[in-house]
Amino acid sequence: MKRSLFFVSTLLFLCTSYVQAQFEIGVSGGYNKNYLHTSTGYRAYTKYDALSGFTVSIPLQYHFNNWLAVEADPGYIQKNYEQKRDHFFDGIYQKSTNSYIQLPVMAHFSFGGDKLKGFMNLGGYGAYWASGHIKGAMANPFNLAPDIPDNQQTYTFFEYDKAYNYNEKYSFDSRRDRRMEFGLLAGAGVEYLLHQRYRIFVEGRYYYGLTDQQKNYMINQIPRYNDTYVIQAGCLFNLKNIFHPELAAAE
Amino acid sequence: MKYLDKYILIILVLLTGVSCRKEMPEINDPQNTIAANFNEVFDAFWNGMNNNYIFWDIDTVNWDNVYKQYKPLFAKLNLNDSNDVRKGYTYFKQMTAGLVDSHYNITFNDTWLVDSPSISPSYERKSASPGFHNPISIFHFYDTIPRKYLDRGGAIRGYTNTVDGSNQYVAVSGTIQQNILYFFFSEFALKELYKTDTANGVKRVEQYFFDKLQNTANIKGIIIDVRGNPGGALADLDFLLGRMIDKQLDFGYTRSKQGNGRLDYSPWAPAFATPQAGARNITAPIVMLADAWSASMAEMTTMAVKALPNGHFVGERTWGANGPLIGNLFFNGGQFTTNYMNLVYTSSLMLKYKDGKIYEGVGFPPDLEVKYDEAALNLGQDKQLEAAIGLIH
Repeated sequence: MKRSLFFVSTLLFLCTSYVQAQFEIGVSGGYNKNYLHTSTGYRAYTKYDALSGFTVSIPLQYHFNNWLAVEADPGYIQKNYEQKRDHFFDGIYQKSTNSYIQLPVMAHFSFGGDKLKGFMNLGGYGAYWASGHIKGAMANPFNLAPDIPDNQQTYTFFEYDKAYNYNEKYSFDSRRDRRMEFGLLAGAGVEYLLHQRYRIFVEGRYYYGLTDQQKNYMINQIPRYNDTYVIQAGCLFNLKNIFHPELAAAE
Repeated sequence: MKYLDKYILIILVLLTGVSCRKEMPEINDPQNTIAANFNEVFDAFWNGMNNNYIFWDIDTVNWDNVYKQYKPLFAKLNLNDSNDVRKGYTYFKQMTAGLVDSHYNITFNDTWLVDSPSISPSYERKSASPGFHNPISIFHFYDTIPRKYLDRGGAIRGYTNTVDGSNQYVAVSGTIQQNILYFFFSEFALKELYKTDTANGVKRVEQYFFDKLQNTANIKGIIIDVRGNPGGALADLDFLLGRMIDKQLDFGYTRSKQGNGRLDYSPWAPAFATPQAGARNITAPIVMLADAWSASMAEMTTMAVKALPNGHFVGERTWGANGPLIGNLFFNGGQFTTNYMNLVYTSSLMLKYKDGKIYEGVGFPPDLEVKYDEAALNLGQDKQLEAAIGLIH
């Protein structure tokens, strides 16, 4: 029993030593803007607008050499958008706040000096649409506005039917909603080595959804894809320099 | 750098994925289509239904299968051959036969179909079902009920013809045993007719009923008779029931389309009646008399009354056309036209009753069922009305 425990401990030590030599872990967060790539078809006075959201993640980098690493960046990201009507239907809208648990995996290319470096990320991602929230206003034909005098012209639908304002959890429809999303990503940024143990970075990243948010449930279905632009900042910690600072000092 | 070519290859493979998005389908507004051949006619109608029909959530018709089955059949037809036009009419009838929307009705612009009846799936189903009966004659309400059931000197009746002569509204009111108020009206145009500057027969009856409602000291009960009533203006819900309640009367929810997808819906918004200024809160029983020919607003009013603690419904299961209607533009769905079709008449909103059930296509059930009895009616006996009076006693 003692022998096997010793064997496992030795193996773990060797592995972590090897990994620590090349492995970085960090935290990252940022602001994003999501555009729903779709079409309103022939619907008049109706459009989709981008909405902002935020993202937080835990970047993990494994370095092959000083210019190439592989990065995984598991985290939480919002992909929000708004459907809006205008002119006579001004005031009718729905803001959709969509929460995804996302796993981007990418190649991380670095270039530049020892302390200040530029980098570029290219890869793909998988995401799970974990929850949604909708907030909006619609005309309620059962809530009539006061009668309009004969000689008075009107400007909005709400002058006939009062608004019903809602703010509620989105109910998924398993016949329609596809909750897994896959896509491509590209990013670029700069990183600065503040200390042997950690460095900070700023990155702009673009997520290009390749999965329709809807299952193929009808002929002539109009697809919906997320296009998400992220600006984020974070910090990466070098495990080797945290657990073995003497090695870093010796280098 | 020796692996650089491999990395570049991986990146190129990833970038090819950029072209993996589906193309946006080209969908034309059915109201701006050209009926030059049956292919176009079919596409305009099929897509119009695909994007605008409100009941796909609950409908059992597989619209994709309809496309696969009928697209090739229409492709074989010639729009300039009267026999093919008749065949096309039959196809449209078959395609829509199972649709749950009981407002649903198609009328055509084609002159070869001018003698053909409009396509009404719910009528076809009902007329083929056991127990089907014709509507009670308007003369029963206009002559028999005032003569036989309403108090002498306590009854008023009237009618109003529309300016173009296409429609006639009839109303009857009176008291039964002095303190039961009775109100019959043939369609929901109460507010519109009441707000007219000129006197009209229905307005006189309305005024009589509203005065009785306000001034009868000890109302024992109210009977609102919507048998044979096909519906009408939603504004009448507040205009009529709003005079009998002192607080908002919630009875269900409605939702509309919110996108071109079949399952793209808005959230459920509450459906309710709002008390009107000067309303008198009626605590005595309010009984709705409705039958298999009570549709749309007649059903919604019945549902609303049934939601009252003192509300009752006597008669038969209603027609089952509960979804309100308005122009397509207002809720991005519902009724539409094509170049070939004069109107595809279909609901704009889906109604769910407060019990969580959707009664579209099945009808709202009475709490005291009294079947249509033609023999009794021919003898001047109204068993449904008698049951309503009995319930109040």
